[in-house]
Amino acid sequence: MRSLPRRKLKNLHAEAAQFQRRAFVGFVAIAVAMLGLAAGYFRLQVLQHEEYQLRSEANRIKPRPIVPARGLITDRNGRLLADNVPAYRLEIVAEQVRDLDATLAGLAELVALDDEDIARFREARRATRAFRPVPLKLRLSEAELARLAVNRHRFPGVEVVPYLTRRYPYGELFAHIIGYVGRVDADDLAAMGDSRNSALTHIGKAGIERYYEDRLRGEIGYEEVETNVEGRALGVLRRIPAKPGADLQLTVDARLQQAMVDAFEGQHGAAVAIDPKTGEILAMVSLPAYDPNLFINGISHRDWQALQAPSRPLFNRNVLGGAPPGSTIKPFMALAALEAGTRTPGQRTFSSGEFFLPGQARGYRDWRPGGHGWVDLNESLAQSVNSYYFQLAVELGVDRLDAFFERLGFGQPTGIDLAGEVSGVRPSRDWKRRTYNQNWFPGDTVNAAIGQGYWVTSPLQLARATAMLADDGVMRRPHLLRASQAGFNQPMRPEPQPEGVQVIGNAAHLAAVNAGLESVMHGPTGTARAAAAGSTYRMAGKTGTTQRVSRRGTERMDPKQLPYHLRHQAWFIGFAPVEAPTIAVVVLVEHGGSGSTAAAPVARRIMDAWILPPAEEPAP
Amino acid sequence: MSLLLRLARDLFSRLFEKVDLPLLLALLGLMLVSLVVLASASGDNARLVMSQGARFGVGLVALLLLSRVTPGKLRLWTPLAYAGSLVLLAAVFVFGTGRSANLWLNLGVFYLQPGELLKLTVPMMLAWFLHAAPLPPGWRVLGVCGAILGLPVAMIVMQPDLGTGMLVAASGVFAVFLAGIAWWRIALFGGLGLAALPIGWQFLMPYQRDRILTFLNPENDPLGAGWNIIQSKIAIGSGGLTGKGWGQGSQSHLDFLPEHTTDFVFSVLSEEFGWVGVVTVLAIYLFIIGRCLWIATQARDGYARLLAGTVAMTFSVYVVVNGGMVAGLLPVVGVPMPLLSFGGTSAVSLLVGFGMVMSVHAHRKFMAS
Repeated sequence: MRSLPRRKLKNLHAEAAQFQRRAFVGFVAIAVAMLGLAAGYFRLQVLQHEEYQLRSEANRIKPRPIVPARGLITDRNGRLLADNVPAYRLEIVAEQVRDLDATLAGLAELVALDDEDIARFREARRATRAFRPVPLKLRLSEAELARLAVNRHRFPGVEVVPYLTRRYPYGELFAHIIGYVGRVDADDLAAMGDSRNSALTHIGKAGIERYYEDRLRGEIGYEEVETNVEGRALGVLRRIPAKPGADLQLTVDARLQQAMVDAFEGQHGAAVAIDPKTGEILAMVSLPAYDPNLFINGISHRDWQALQAPSRPLFNRNVLGGAPPGSTIKPFMALAALEAGTRTPGQRTFSSGEFFLPGQARGYRDWRPGGHGWVDLNESLAQSVNSYYFQLAVELGVDRLDAFFERLGFGQPTGIDLAGEVSGVRPSRDWKRRTYNQNWFPGDTVNAAIGQGYWVTSPLQLARATAMLADDGVMRRPHLLRASQAGFNQPMRPEPQPEGVQVIGNAAHLAAVNAGLESVMHGPTGTARAAAAGSTYRMAGKTGTTQRVSRRGTERMDPKQLPYHLRHQAWFIGFAPVEAPTIAVVVLVEHGGSGSTAAAPVARRIMDAWILPPAEEPAP
Repeated sequence: MSLLLRLARDLFSRLFEKVDLPLLLALLGLMLVSLVVLASASGDNARLVMSQGARFGVGLVALLLLSRVTPGKLRLWTPLAYAGSLVLLAAVFVFGTGRSANLWLNLGVFYLQPGELLKLTVPMMLAWFLHAAPLPPGWRVLGVCGAILGLPVAMIVMQPDLGTGMLVAASGVFAVFLAGIAWWRIALFGGLGLAALPIGWQFLMPYQRDRILTFLNPENDPLGAGWNIIQSKIAIGSGGLTGKGWGQGSQSHLDFLPEHTTDFVFSVLSEEFGWVGVVTVLAIYLFIIGRCLWIATQARDGYARLLAGTVAMTFSVYVVVNGGMVAGLLPVVGVPMPLLSFGGTSAVSLLVGFGMVMSVHAHRKFMAS
């Protein structure tokens, strides 16, 4: 108050008089508004009374929403991955029920209701308006239906309603691609806005079901139903038909998907297979997985607890996960040096077993004690020679590396049609300054050279870059939706995808790197030559192993002896057949051994399944 | 025995000596109407009627207790009450729960809606500030008022709760109006407000835009709010001059009328008691508002005067907005019919507001001893 001018003294009498005048004006204004209201009601109730009287007497027409069938999801060959099956559910209109507790108790004698059902119902009831039906139990059994039919007259406001429910015939196999639908909750409704959607019971909560929810859902229609005095329906007067959801055809192949899971032989991890010519994802798994059917009618507490295991079955490692890429980054490092002109393929570097930065006593080691001797680009990839890349990265410097890897899409989401994709980490001066508020040290460049240190890449990012190597330097958006059909009488329309971007224009550079990757698989010194033994086609690939603990302390330790959570992550990236690639694969085996012993054999089995003639159809 | 009787009489007279009997009777009349209409609207749901009665009871006790507190004490506690309610409002953003918007705080025993508190503390704070400020208010005073009002209103609208935000904003506008803001300033603000309407449109949530569009063209939303308004108009119009009679409203009893115990309770009243019933209830409302304003003019100081006057004028906004909404004269905004609609928080907070008015009355200028 001190800031106010003091010279202006308060005149208490004048204020009181002023207030009286204002109060009077205010009262008059309110009286006028009330008169206006009374006049408005007079018009409705007296002048237009007869019209409304008639409408009230004729008022036997209620709108009723029609929920369209949700779109089907198939694999690239038309195998059904998600379909709809008929079922019955129990609904309650709270407004029409006299005593809710007694009704629930009575229904519990006829239908198996557990505490979770009732808790969920009460939750949903609070979120919905009292005149709208709220589901109490979905998927009633035959016996329950029969018991309800006999006792229905005892429960006014309780209805048995037929509907279509979602089913995932392949269960766990496509969990991380298809995702699942779940019961609509209040937040979903608020997010959708349109009041018509309150007629929905289910909505996509994860995966394709969530990403393409709008297209799968279709449009809700309604019909005007004539009712008798008790409110029972007599007939339909007018119908605005619902628009069915679009059927989606995915890029994945159920046979390859099954082969991919089998290839892991029970290990945990993730894998992606991409058609390099199109960016279509042919198969993608994250293991362990879960059964999406559990979620449709509300997952039970026990099932939910089971999915919280440390192995994280709900976590899609391809999209949400990431790890340092290890030596799988080397082909791209080599490409960076070729493109920048700091290296030629034939140029050789000496590997003594340990690499030193000027002025530093601490060395950076090769994986083979004593080193690999003089190696060129081809040999550096075949044997995965660390010192070659230490030297190469120091020559290039972090800034040029950063710019090059940005071009290859590292550190950015790939744009796959699944929600929540991570960006990963592409280390740079800027990034380190932002994240740790620290300067970039030369040692950081050395670590980054072999995909260690700050690097984090998702399997999808590596898959996209690997597909680029197999597709003459063109980078494409990895995607899952191949085509869609907006109604059964509509044509199947291919899903438009953005044009690929030519990120590497020099074919000689690509050829040099790819030759090195071929040597990894088929060369006499290749780190993954065991995995390629006996193959009828030529493969290109690169292994990678990242430790969770420093190599120094555990130098001569068998990786399988480490505590489980500290064991290595084994990577493999590759494509085949080399002459005309039809598949690019990334494999990540968690808690495995090395890339060559744990990941490469998995990749080999996946490639075999795609390239060799098929064995037999998997049963859903 | 006679001692007990005397004690009871003593207690009774001491509780009621401070209240303004005409105002109390009008409020009690309204509550009686509410219980009668709710009994019909809920389909003789005794539990619903009793729970509303219990809330009225709680509110009335609060009213009687508050009438014994002097406005001076209220004024002393005002800044603390205002700050406390702001903190609670901010807490909603962190811990809030609710169905489509997070408006509620779970206090373990019961749920609290801090927005409801601000309907009381904002007028209190404005009265507290204005009673010491030079009047009529200049730009500087108006600026401070704008800050006192703007912060909570912005927070409430962000929650989003447009109805409560509007009522709190209205209370602020009325406080400044009663403090004697110059007419030319009113005209200026009014003009600016009109000019800002298209900008405000951009800040509305999609569902709020839908409501306004639905109001302009109800047939566009046959399953949602548009249908509600059409059914409500049929209920009101078919009631006619004298109504269909208690418990005879077919619109509500056949479930054509939605939410007929809460936001649309006035439609039930209109259907069953006709225009005569409507005008009677509106007259009671007008009497309550007039009586409160009269009490305000009799107040001892500027704080008491502004507080009582603002409570009275804000009350009218409920009536006009809800009455206009159910008859399709105004867009749908979640504002209940005061003391008529089923719902506890607003009934209690309204009665607390009237308790403050009673306190002003009890400690007026020329107390008859």
